[in-house]
Formats: sequence, structure tokens, C-alpha cells
Amino acid sequence: MTCPRCNSEDTRVMVKSPVGDEWEVYVCNTCYYSWRSTETPDVHDVFKLKPEDIPNLQVIPPVPPLDK
Amino acid sequence: MAKVYEGLREFLQTLEEEGQLVRIKDEVMPEPDIGAAGRAAANMKGNAPAILFEKIKGYKGKVVTNVHGSWANHALMMGMQKDATTKEQFFELNRRWDKYPVEPEVVAREDAPCKENVVDENINLFEVLPLYRINDQDGGFFISKASVVSGEPDDPENLDKMNVGTYRIQVKDVDRIGIQALAMHDIAVQLEQAERKNEKLRVAIALGNDPIITFMASTPIAHDQSEYKFAGALRDGVPVKLVKADKAEHLYVPASAEVILEGYIEPRVRECEGPFGEFPGSYSGARNQCVVKIDHITHRTDPIFENLYLGIPWTEIDYLMALNTSVPLYKQIKEGFPELVALNAMYMHGHVAIISTKCRYGGYGKGIAFRLLSTPHGMPYTKVVIVVDEYVDPFNLEQVMWAIASRVKPDKDVAIIPNCPGMPLDPSSNPAGMHTKMIIDATTPVAPEPNPRSVELLEPPVGTEKWEEILRDLMK
Repeated sequence: MTCPRCNSEDTRVMVKSPVGDEWEVYVCNTCYYSWRSTETPDVHDVFKLKPEDIPNLQVIPPVPPLDK
Repeated sequence: MAKVYEGLREFLQTLEEEGQLVRIKDEVMPEPDIGAAGRAAANMKGNAPAILFEKIKGYKGKVVTNVHGSWANHALMMGMQKDATTKEQFFELNRRWDKYPVEPEVVAREDAPCKENVVDENINLFEVLPLYRINDQDGGFFISKASVVSGEPDDPENLDKMNVGTYRIQVKDVDRIGIQALAMHDIAVQLEQAERKNEKLRVAIALGNDPIITFMASTPIAHDQSEYKFAGALRDGVPVKLVKADKAEHLYVPASAEVILEGYIEPRVRECEGPFGEFPGSYSGARNQCVVKIDHITHRTDPIFENLYLGIPWTEIDYLMALNTSVPLYKQIKEGFPELVALNAMYMHGHVAIISTKCRYGGYGKGIAFRLLSTPHGMPYTKVVIVVDEYVDPFNLEQVMWAIASRVKPDKDVAIIPNCPGMPLDPSSNPAGMHTKMIIDATTPVAPEPNPRSVELLEPPVGTEKWEEILRDLMK
């Protein structure tokens, strides 16, 4: 299964519906995008990610230096 | 003494009795139904109801949304009549604000409904919370109305520095969530202390609370002021009931919460989070943000998941940053300028603000606008200030427009101040964090400013107030 946002193949089933066999939720192990089997994800181009760009996203809040 | 609520359930009962809550008994889909109904409720404005979904496909529990999402519900939260005007609610909030601090009451674990059920093995958030996507382009399922409790690592026993704040939360796994802690937020100060020592920061996330606690969690107050003690003040002096968290003895949580998620922020870890539809009515993109591991859950039996819709204003979130933005600014300006009558800073967390004041001398309107623009919140957030006379209700936009239409001479009454601080989330701030300020002085000129065409204002006919009362009663 391919991630609809970053095209990574490293995805998995996060959870199945607690009641009945109604749906599953999938998650991408690379960008953490998640979606339900009852949805048809249509990620707009502006929100698509390349896996190699993720480490360069802004870091919030910045990680402080360790105390010496 | 105003009516107060010991938890979400009591408040929902009052909302229902007052015709301010509707139940959806038919089964709904998590997407898009819950988000769409939240948007639809927001479109109703004035007396939009809370919506309680009783059956959601594939889930056990219920969801309630739009609990704070109208002026009627906001008034009932404060124990006022549901037709109380915004201005009346503003002044009531001002009155109660001065009761700070009210010490909370700590109850025993067995007296706290939030401890009725415990989950500390095989944690699965989906078993407890019917999670769903709020807006189509959100990067996952978000918890948008949590009260996140955290302590000060360098001063853990200090209740005043214990923080209760609302931060957006993205569900990343059955026991793992992302959380947004912007550098300007109190939790980021605490996180920095922990991360400098490479230590976990314990958090307790309270969902489904007394509506005043949720209201205070989204109110900007000083780092060493207690949200819980303020909640007691806004409950008109009635203390909030708290109980110790199970895994972090120094943290206190609302005893009547529907659900408490306990866990810790993993030190020095950041992971991809977002996008998320945010309060300025647009998405904020993907960033690398903090992660919380959930290791303990307590909840009431049959918990109700309270969450909010946010979109192009106004939606429920705007009611949670309206009067609680206006009141602190009013208090700060009133200290030096007793002529100030009221202040409306309800638009996008104070980006546009309206000041009603009596003018003591010429140029007073502009001067008081500068005072607003130099308050700690107003300096970055407020970019447009409208100043009106003391008899204009700043919460009545028709009156404000009348004041601008009839009082403003643009060449002398409009001032543009370039190169000032701005709020980065405002998409018109460029570079993010810088902005221009505009003052529109719609007050009547007073000496020594010349007023060459003075006017005689119309007065309401004798008996108007009596007739207002008659008409109100007939409408009940």
C-alpha cells in the first residue's frame, strides 16, 4: 500500500474498527499521514511530501543544547 | 452566585434543557459527517446548538461538538441567561476576573469520576475515543479541544507554574500522538527545561471538561498564573475540583473529566506533523514537532469525546479566543486610562480590535490605540485598531460601522505605522512575524482638536427601555 502523501511503500494497518469489521486505519511510517479505508484520500499537490524533504521541515520548537 | 457545572455532562444537560443541544441518533460516518455538522452548526451563528452524535460507525462511544459554539452556549457556560448580549458577558467576565486567585479543591481518588476506569495495558486510543478527520486536508485525525496539563521541571510542586493549555494533537498510533508546542507557549518553556537534561516531560491530557476549564485552557495569562485558580474565579468564586494524576504525582487534573490520557513527551524527538486546518481559516503545513507516548488512561464509564470544528471564522474555536482575549487587554489598558469603556478583540485572536472610550483631550483616540499596540498580546497580534466614542457598543458591528461612516475623515483619522511586530500565523504577515499597524480613529474630535461641524445626537424616545422589556417578554 502506497502513502497518498509521500508515496512511501512503508505503510501499515494502525487499527481496525473497535466494533464490527467496518473499517481499518492506515498510517505511513515515513510521514505519519493516516487515513481510513472508508476515505478516498486526495492530497492536494501543495501538501505532497518527498521522503527526503522531511528531515528539512521546520523544527518546532527548536531542540535546545544539552546541559553540560 | 452564578450557576456552575461539575463537568461536561452537567453542562450538556443544561444545554439540552435550554434547547441548545441536539442529538443525532442515526448512525453517522466518522468522515465527513462529524466535521461537516460542526461547520454547519457554525454557519447558524447566534444560538447554534451543541451536537451530540450517539452512534458512529465502527466505534463504541459518543462525540459532542460545538459545545462552546454560540453566544447562547457561551452565556450558559457562565451561568447567565442564554440571550445575554456579548457586551453583558464581557462585563460579567470582567467582574469575575478580579476574584483571582481561587484555590482549587483536591479530592480523593475514589471521589473523582475521571478514575472510574483504568487502562494501562494494550492501550488503544480508538477503543476510548471515536477519532476522526476534522478537515479534508488534515494529515490525520486530530484532537482539537484538549486541556494539556504539564509541570515546571525546575519547580514541579509550584501549582501556579503548572500549565493547562490547548494544543493541537495528531493521532499517530494507537498509543502515540504528536503535539504542537510553539516556542511562545508555556509548555515549550517547560519542555526546554526537560530537554536540556534529556528528560521526559510528563503530561496529563484532560478531555471533556467543565466548560470553564476548557475556556481557561485557551486564555492567554502569565506563565506564573494558574489556569485552575482563574477557573475558580470565573466560576464566580467556586473552586474547581482536582485530583492527582496517577503516573505523575505533581500533576493535577479536573476530577470530573471524561478522559485523562497520561504520558510523556519523548525528549529531543521531533517527527512530521500536520497539515492541520487552523484558526486563521487556512491550513498550516507539515513541520517536525513533538511526540507524546501514552502509557496510562483513565476515563468515566461510557466517556463522551468532546472535540471542536475549526474553519473559516467564525467557528467554535473563535468563541474560545473571543472574550478571553478581550478581557486581559481591557484590564491592562484600563489601569492607566479609566475613560476606557469596553474593548472587543474577538477577531482572529485580536488581529482586529475595537476600543470604546471617552476622550479626555484631543488625540486621545490615537493615544489609546498606541497603548493597545504596546500591550504584550497587542504588540504582535493586533494590526487594525478602531477607536469609537464611549456611547458606541464595540460588540455591535453595525454601530461601529456607523461610527466609521459618520466620524472618520481619512486624511487625519487613519494612521499607518510600518515595520512593526506581527503574528507569524497571520498569512498576510511578511516576513512572517513583521507587520504594518493601522489605526482608525472614529471618535468625535475634542479640544484642542477643532470640530468645525459639531452634531446633535438623536436620543431614544421616552419609554424605549420599557418597550424593549415588553417586546423581549413577548418573544419568550
